[in-house]
Amino acid sequence: MASKGALCGCIPSQKCANKKPRKLLAHRVVSKMALASVLNQNCAAFSFGSRQTTAFDCGPGLSGVGLESTSGDNFRFAIRNPMRPVVEDGDVESKIQFLHGTTTLAFKFQHGVIVAVDSRATAGSYICSQTVKKVIEINPFLLGTMAGGAADCGFWERMLARQCRVYELRNKERISVAAASKLLANMVYQYKGMGLSMGTMVCGWDKRGPGLYYVDSDGSRVCGDLFSLGSGSVYAYGVMDSGFRQDLTVEEACDLGRRAIYQATYRDAYSGGQVNLYHVHSEGWTRVSQDDVLELHQRYKDQA
Amino acid sequence: MSIMSYNGGAVMAMRGKNCVAIASDRRFGIQAQMVTTDFEKLFPMGERLFIGLAGLATDVQTVSQRLKFRLNLYELKEGRQIKPKTFMSMVSNLLYERRFGPYYIEPVIAGLDPKTFEPFICSLDLIGCPMVTEDFVVSGTCSEQMYGMCESLWEPDLEPEDLFETISQAMLNALDRDALSGMGVVVHVIEKDKITKRSLKARMD
Repeated sequence: MASKGALCGCIPSQKCANKKPRKLLAHRVVSKMALASVLNQNCAAFSFGSRQTTAFDCGPGLSGVGLESTSGDNFRFAIRNPMRPVVEDGDVESKIQFLHGTTTLAFKFQHGVIVAVDSRATAGSYICSQTVKKVIEINPFLLGTMAGGAADCGFWERMLARQCRVYELRNKERISVAAASKLLANMVYQYKGMGLSMGTMVCGWDKRGPGLYYVDSDGSRVCGDLFSLGSGSVYAYGVMDSGFRQDLTVEEACDLGRRAIYQATYRDAYSGGQVNLYHVHSEGWTRVSQDDVLELHQRYKDQA
Repeated sequence: MSIMSYNGGAVMAMRGKNCVAIASDRRFGIQAQMVTTDFEKLFPMGERLFIGLAGLATDVQTVSQRLKFRLNLYELKEGRQIKPKTFMSMVSNLLYERRFGPYYIEPVIAGLDPKTFEPFICSLDLIGCPMVTEDFVVSGTCSEQMYGMCESLWEPDLEPEDLFETISQAMLNALDRDALSGMGVVVHVIEKDKITKRSLKARMD
């Protein structure tokens, strides 16, 4: 493992800044950097020069990731997420819109953690997909939810899975939720300000009982009992807060999570599709149900 | 944020054999938040004449009311029902009056001639350019999706029942690909002797 550090093209940041590498080298440095940071955690964020634009080709409307205020003819027409406040000072706060339109929630109760998500992805007002999997199965005891950039969430949670496995092998013991969420938070903190867009909840069960952490690409890592993320989170919070008790049964907790997501899909234009529900308990996680919102609508209407 | 997609919405009209159909979604929202699911976008302007308005909700209501006012005066002066083509010109005139501060709507007109019962559909842009077609017209935040659906599903000389099926499928599937439209569909099928109004069961997300 130690040898990897020597291979890393990006040792101290000062060296990197002085180079003017070719496109190929830039690409290699970036991918190695990801590995290095995960393994060594001593590779500071390298400064971005002009080479940054070559590595990322993300389609129209995306301001160059990592660049400060760009020159006049550049991608200033980036899609602005109406949910987020405009950042005026030319900061490269992520301007990728897709998947911030979403609703995901997770809450702890006496029998574990309930995780519920919708499945819609939008680009502007166009619905790209109604069948997106927004819960990432990190390992049989840990789940991560996806909000923000799908690629960012998918990649970094997969890296987290790798790190958790390494921890297990080294320590002959399952990783705690606190440690797993800390690993993820530290990984993305190195990229703070470069435009990663990731808002995730790390949910699991360890020897301290149920664990739930909110981690995002700004570097926040917060422990809590109940979280909801995305444009529909305001509606989900309302339903959850009115129905939540510590002593819910598993059935009741699942219903609460499902109902909260359903109500969010009803009111929020950017949430919809199906409600995917998971339950994390002492033996790991279980996929409880996948319900199409159309069926839920009918079911709740009949119940009322 | 675009003004035309502030409230969202979609309308379309199709022409069949001696009949026309006009449909709209039912959502009224303010950006991402849905406010009601029973917002009227189709307005009767004659016994066999409907106008559908998509765009900014306040202008939808204002234009329909002002248009009704002008139409009432027309009917009193002329002593007869207005022809669809003339009505189209009336709408065009109303919109062009606001050329440099327009109403943010894109209307769609569907109806039968009061005397000959000839079917007629047309659409206009927000400053009143009329466009008469033989097949279908669409307007709203998901117009591209609606064009795709109509282009593939429509065929000439559909009977009223088939026309209803066609316009319903086109609307439902186009709306399912737009975040800002949906929450139900209303369809009017206008024939010589009757108008059938139906509400469709749609996805409510």
